[in-house]
Amino acid sequence: MTASLATEPRQRLHPLTPLLKGARALVVIIAALSWQTLGRVGVGWFAAMVVAALVAHVVLSVVSWYFTGYQVVGRELRIHEGLLIRRTRAIPLERLQTVEVVRPLLAQLTGLAELRLEVVGGGKTEAPLAFLTVEEARALRERLLVLAGKASAAAPAEVAEGEPMPVAHPERPIHAVTNRDLLISQVLTPQTLFMPFGVVFVVFQFATEATWSFIGIASTLTAMAGVLLQPVRRILADWNFRLASQDGSLRMRGGLLETRSQTVPLDRLQAITATWPLLWRRRRWLRLRPHVAGVATPTSGDEAGGGRLLPVGDPDTARLVLAEALPGVSLDAIPFTPPSRRARWLHPLAWRVLGAALTDQVVAHREGLLTRQVLVVPYARIQSVRVVRGPLQRRLGLATVYADTAGGPSAAARDRDVSEAWALAATLAERSRAARSVPAQG
Amino acid sequence: MTSPTSALEPWPETVEWRPVSRDLIWVELIGLASFMIFVFTGLGVFWALTGHWSFGLALAATVVMTVWRVTVIFRAVKAWGYAERDNDLLVRHGLLVRRLSIVPYARMQFVDVTAGPLERAFGLATVQLHTAAAASDAKIPGLPPAEASRLRDRLTALGEDRAEGL
Repeated sequence: MTASLATEPRQRLHPLTPLLKGARALVVIIAALSWQTLGRVGVGWFAAMVVAALVAHVVLSVVSWYFTGYQVVGRELRIHEGLLIRRTRAIPLERLQTVEVVRPLLAQLTGLAELRLEVVGGGKTEAPLAFLTVEEARALRERLLVLAGKASAAAPAEVAEGEPMPVAHPERPIHAVTNRDLLISQVLTPQTLFMPFGVVFVVFQFATEATWSFIGIASTLTAMAGVLLQPVRRILADWNFRLASQDGSLRMRGGLLETRSQTVPLDRLQAITATWPLLWRRRRWLRLRPHVAGVATPTSGDEAGGGRLLPVGDPDTARLVLAEALPGVSLDAIPFTPPSRRARWLHPLAWRVLGAALTDQVVAHREGLLTRQVLVVPYARIQSVRVVRGPLQRRLGLATVYADTAGGPSAAARDRDVSEAWALAATLAERSRAARSVPAQG
Repeated sequence: MTSPTSALEPWPETVEWRPVSRDLIWVELIGLASFMIFVFTGLGVFWALTGHWSFGLALAATVVMTVWRVTVIFRAVKAWGYAERDNDLLVRHGLLVRRLSIVPYARMQFVDVTAGPLERAFGLATVQLHTAAAASDAKIPGLPPAEASRLRDRLTALGEDRAEGL
């Protein structure tokens, strides 16, 4: 393989690929046909159906194999695929996050390997090359990494990410959450507060009408336990929560049953959400949540798992933590401006709460009448800017401006005046570019 | 930046919008027609078999919808536009909900060029720019292949120059 530029021929994957994919599909086919079918048609017909599906799959795989090819053109990798819908994916090699050589069991038996290219975006492995011979895969990996200018980083590609090097600076503790605050904060959730009423209701029902069966009560209690699960899980996960900083990354530790330690490099931090639940408002408590690229955060927001910068804390603590995560940003100093007055009709109650702001470092939005949320996105982390105008908004002369982040939510300046929105979009695009050209901005 | 003068054409002096190919209208129309044929035959067969008036009503409603959709396709294709600025790509589309995306070249992760059978028959291709954010939508349909590969090469080249990633 010579490192010639541009004219390099397109290469096919290994010819055994369709067979391996067929074998992989066998399990799926059998599962899809299910036991019921087996029971109904008998073993002979079942086998015939499996074979027919398998042959069809292999034929399709052969066709797709024939039309799949890859080539390195200059500093990008192109992957061609598809017979009917042809797709060419151009991946600039600078964008490669990791290149992994994976060998599933079947591939090991046949001496083949799969090359997985991780590119940030979309969240899943974007470009699997399956299958190549092991030597080809290794060689291509080396070559891609060299071209990507990451040859030195080739070794850690297979090591788990996020682990700091053994010889590192000692960590500097930032904050520890007291378990008392954590308990109170989780008692002050709707689930826990309404639970006694539920229990009283069930007991009352049971005492007055003896019509409730044992199963009925058991299932009601299970449902209640399910409701309580979330606060309990949070207490378990955030017990003894400690936040420390080390070598430009934040380390979060905590957990009662299983201790979890999470490291977030500051340059991977895309955005931060601050949440003020209604029931915490009297204590002025809030919660801080980081959004990190490349770490799958559940779509259900802060309901399940996900990281926390601060499970619960007062404004002073939040200020302290925020100063570490986003130096120079203060939640109290963000000058939120409300949407256009014409948007009052769209949000009669929440109008006063909605707001967006640009500071010298971040774009922020505020929303939520009851559970107030503020999202802060540094300019340098903006991936794209969008201006969206729905039919009603156009009638009212309004527009919403979004600043998209990687793996996090988009900061949204809702229902701004159209001219303000365009100016906002222009400013955001300009500032995100300017912020990016300053290197190494955490 | 410059101040906008018109709501539909922001920053007119810096942006030169380029339209997509008009042939996209045909692609969309044929796509719509092939889908509608199924719906029409389905509804027609049911109407003939059962004779129930509700199928006739549904058929009439579908006809109205189709006519409306055809007019929308004409205008929607004209609403697509893109512009290459020094540092970012602008894409606008949509009639009912109007969208404008600004994607800096430096944020590009990879570029897809796709062409379905219908698009290929008309010599068209779709270029889609992916960033690390799932919400970014920078898709330009209805480009002639030469323009599509020019755009792809330019985008990847610019992306490399301004490589930054996250």
